[in-house]
Amino acid sequence: MKLNQLTIAEASKKLQAGEITAVDLARACLDEIKKRDQDIHAYIEVFDDVEDQARAADALRQAQGKNAHPLLGIPLAIKDNILIEGRHASAASKILENYVASYDATVIKKLKGAGTVFIGRVNMDEFATGSTTESSCYGATKNPVDEARVPGGSSGGSAAAVAAHMCLGALGTDTGGSIREPAAFCGIVGLKPTYGAVSRSGLVAMGSSLDQAGPLTRSVEDAEIIFDAIRGQDPLDATTIADNVYPKPTPKKKIGVPCTLLQQGVEVDVMQKFEASLQQFKTKGFEIVDVEIPSAALALAIYYVIMPAELSSNLARYDGVRYGLALKGKDLFEDYAKSRGAGFGDEVRRRIMLGTYVLSAGYYDAYYGKAIAARAALAGEFAQALEKVDVIATPTTPTPATKIGEKTDPLSMYLLDIFTVSANITGNPALSVPMGFVAREGKQLPVGLQLTSAHGDEAALFSIGKEVEK
Amino acid sequence: MISREEVQNLATLARLQLSDAEIKNLQKDMSSILDYIGQLASVQFDKSLTPPIPALRNVLRADEPRPADDALVGKEEAVRAAFPNREGDYNVVRKIIQKDE
Repeated sequence: MKLNQLTIAEASKKLQAGEITAVDLARACLDEIKKRDQDIHAYIEVFDDVEDQARAADALRQAQGKNAHPLLGIPLAIKDNILIEGRHASAASKILENYVASYDATVIKKLKGAGTVFIGRVNMDEFATGSTTESSCYGATKNPVDEARVPGGSSGGSAAAVAAHMCLGALGTDTGGSIREPAAFCGIVGLKPTYGAVSRSGLVAMGSSLDQAGPLTRSVEDAEIIFDAIRGQDPLDATTIADNVYPKPTPKKKIGVPCTLLQQGVEVDVMQKFEASLQQFKTKGFEIVDVEIPSAALALAIYYVIMPAELSSNLARYDGVRYGLALKGKDLFEDYAKSRGAGFGDEVRRRIMLGTYVLSAGYYDAYYGKAIAARAALAGEFAQALEKVDVIATPTTPTPATKIGEKTDPLSMYLLDIFTVSANITGNPALSVPMGFVAREGKQLPVGLQLTSAHGDEAALFSIGKEVEK
Repeated sequence: MISREEVQNLATLARLQLSDAEIKNLQKDMSSILDYIGQLASVQFDKSLTPPIPALRNVLRADEPRPADDALVGKEEAVRAAFPNREGDYNVVRKIIQKDE
């Protein structure tokens, strides 16, 4: 087996045993990138000092011995909206094309402390506004499983890099499904932590009440290793929480399924895979319970009010005054309008306009006011359901990966996230884990199973997720 | 269908310059998306429901200098290096107050 095909857990053991070095691992990933990334285009930039980082990790292992962190020397890819000091971070946009990060994101600082090796920055939808990575200003990324198809988005580069063994794991961000959906499309694992579990300091903000950074990996165990490394209360992010904020539920060995929600809209063979997974749970002693989440049918509508509103506010900072693309017009308004016009792509502009609309006087109560009330209702329904079960299970997406160029109508692209957005709206943690393949035009395409648990209960996701893997 | 004027007003608020073609496309796209999210208008929600914990709590920090290993300490030069039009330690920006105000 090639070194870049090891899981993080396996590689970590071999590193600790002295069987391989971090340089060996890094080189294996770099070789794979040379072979495949011309076609896949997961990486926007492969860092030029990867082997230096790896050598430093090997030296650190000499010093630390048994105290070495499991991620010491492990090569990860980092999504282009996570700041690494001194390196470019553009959120796949033109407006930040030449921006050099002035500080480390907290998640990066923690990974540096562990001795992780950063292979490079990976592609994404521009400012995370998409579910296919097609809106990147650097070109689309292809799904390694079927290069005619999208890897999902917005963390499409992260997912593709992991699935194609061009790194051992990756960081992504998830605002409406942007870790879980690409993980499902590429046949890997993706975790969106509890809101507040992982610091957002140093992430290019999209929806501040929705965003979470998280791991994309080839195994649930690997996702757990990365989550443990990046989690934690952070003085630089006032929305982060201490470990003891949420009570730890006792396992009930019950899995909740919102049957009403799944009656329509999911492709037949995706539902078959889902039902087969439920059968597997039964043979392992789990009880399947029908749960009612009436507001879940409105989740996508809620999301497409709150997210554009928060996005339009967050992107107001890109005005060409302090950093980024700065074009000059005849007056201040034109400076702004030209910089933002040239610097933002179509989908970004569309969502800024939507956000501006729902927040403007006269419409605020009808849209945003309603969405906030709906949000509280949805959160309450999830909490009620999770009193009876350990996790709520659905397919991660209603379909397998779509073809590149297929989703031209914005709303049809938004519908790919129909099952993932709830967890961002409510703050619950959610995991996507592969549940098999469906056939499309002679190709076997991966599909994902999504598990959502109570706030703070990532343990249930990892434990039950590992059952799915067995 | 959302009107041309309305789209133009929103663009002004958002400091975006849109072409005629874009305005037409946005009228179409926004109308269909607004119809979709408009589902919320007819639903009644219990306004007394509060989101789950953590409840709002005081997260202000003490008024003390940041620790030396804080990610933002010592980054002033990096911030200045990003100024589009830098002069010494200053960011040169457009004059916006035109009269004696």
